[in-house]
Amino acid sequence: MGGRAEDLRARGAPAGPAHAVGRGAGLPEGDGSREITHEDLDRARDRLAVERARRAGGARTSLVRRLWPLWLLVGPGILVFLGENDAPSMLSYAATGAQYGIGFFVPFILVTFLMAFVVQEMTVRLGAVTHRGHAELIFDRFGTFWGRFAMGDLVVGNFLTLVTEFIGIRAGLSFFGVPPVVAVGGSMLLVFGVILTHRYWTWERIALGLAVFNALFIPAALYAHPQWGALGHAFLTWSPFPQGGLLKPDVMLLLMSNIGATVTPWMLFFQQSAVVDKGLQPRDIRAGRTDTMIGTLLAAAFGIAALVATAPLLAHGIKTEDYQAAQFAQALRPWIGRAGATCFALGIFEAGLLAAMTISTSSAYAFGEVFHHPHSLNRPLWEGWSFYGILLASAFAAGALVLLPNAPLTYIVLIVNVIAVLAMPPALLFLVLLCNDREIMGAHASGRWASIAIVTVTILLILAGLGYGLVTVFPKILGGG
Amino acid sequence: MKREHDTTTAAPGRGGAAGPAEGSDVDLERPEAVLSVLEADQLVAAKEQAHFGRMRLSGGVRLLLSGLRLYVIAMMIIVLFQVLQAVHGGH
Repeated sequence: MGGRAEDLRARGAPAGPAHAVGRGAGLPEGDGSREITHEDLDRARDRLAVERARRAGGARTSLVRRLWPLWLLVGPGILVFLGENDAPSMLSYAATGAQYGIGFFVPFILVTFLMAFVVQEMTVRLGAVTHRGHAELIFDRFGTFWGRFAMGDLVVGNFLTLVTEFIGIRAGLSFFGVPPVVAVGGSMLLVFGVILTHRYWTWERIALGLAVFNALFIPAALYAHPQWGALGHAFLTWSPFPQGGLLKPDVMLLLMSNIGATVTPWMLFFQQSAVVDKGLQPRDIRAGRTDTMIGTLLAAAFGIAALVATAPLLAHGIKTEDYQAAQFAQALRPWIGRAGATCFALGIFEAGLLAAMTISTSSAYAFGEVFHHPHSLNRPLWEGWSFYGILLASAFAAGALVLLPNAPLTYIVLIVNVIAVLAMPPALLFLVLLCNDREIMGAHASGRWASIAIVTVTILLILAGLGYGLVTVFPKILGGG
Repeated sequence: MKREHDTTTAAPGRGGAAGPAEGSDVDLERPEAVLSVLEADQLVAAKEQAHFGRMRLSGGVRLLLSGLRLYVIAMMIIVLFQVLQAVHGGH
């Protein structure tokens, strides 16, 4: 067990309901059975399965038995990254491939995902050690004033992003002739249906099953018959560069969109809360890192696949600046065939649906943590009514807005990503401060190299945001436009 | 609430902080069994009753937080400017 509680008591930390240390506080006096909730029981069952799997595994057992504990522990990391490969992100990658083809952006996307791994790994440690969600920790450690700013960023960003997820759902299914009302309404029913299980484990496994379909962009890319030599050359040399250079406003907007596609505030809140809801403990941190790295690499591969899938549009001189999601699939059909276009359209639908589930859940987690309402997918509907209410209300409101006609969908998608990356630096600062906080993290606080990595990522994001602002307002002074 | 649980109770004297008794099933209806697999501060009751205190922030950190907050507000205004440009340009 870590030394957080012991350290604080040794330093004479204030005690009492408002300041008592979380770990080691012990159960309240009285009948212990009344203190064990349905949520505790479900979490304990999940933990028991992990403990048994660990004891059953060993050097002399089968590969399946040795990997079984990892299988039980993965989830939050894969879901957060494949959830971040949402409809706007995949469309951003598609737009990149259609405008610039295979070149600079291929390794750039991989690097942005590796940056995101550095960030997300910290949420694993925070959740596993403190057993508190991200919103709750910010309010506890920084106070209401800064907490409200963080929540404001999350609420606005999440709602706008949810709107774009339902745009993607509608657009993806429109390729198959599904009416918008059916597409959006059916997706909302799915989001509602999954939470009826009121088991985090079940919700997570269903979401993971859905996330597998993010891999549909791989066959879409294969149907595009990419030039593997060009792909390898792009990875090694980061070329060819976009025409006009990186400071060209269109290129800068796309760079910002791609960064925003990999690093967004909701990911911090979701993964940490999911780690807590799943019941991870400090000894599970290594598995949590593995889970996060698996998610990172899968999401990078699928994102690059989306770029490769639309590269034929550039090769054939097709202008896609104003394309909406379904138009990409239709435009690709002559070059990658109906099967490839079908994979692309289904992938967009899956991307939107999974993200709708994870982002609405992150909003619900944050709400529950901040207002001290029950906030777990292990809660029955009647116990977690406010948690589930926020989850469903946010999804419903976003879906309803999408049914408005004549919305400039592609531009909205790109701008939402930009907003996400602009809001990231304060969120990263909170994360760095919390992860370096030895009072709550003990021996699991960030080491020197982890701190250097996250500070470097933060500075890069801030510089990207400053560059975007300058290019937007003074494009000619910077030589772009 | 009637809950499904694994069969018999843990062997006496075992299944404490070291974890569930090896080779025997655990009755999760017993609080001690739940605590044998969960850490004390993972329980809902413990989290409701205890919160982490306020972090002491240095002047530099406060300045940085304020600066980043102003940065976000400024950048949002610039984004709004670009959106309005695009909308009026489209008309």
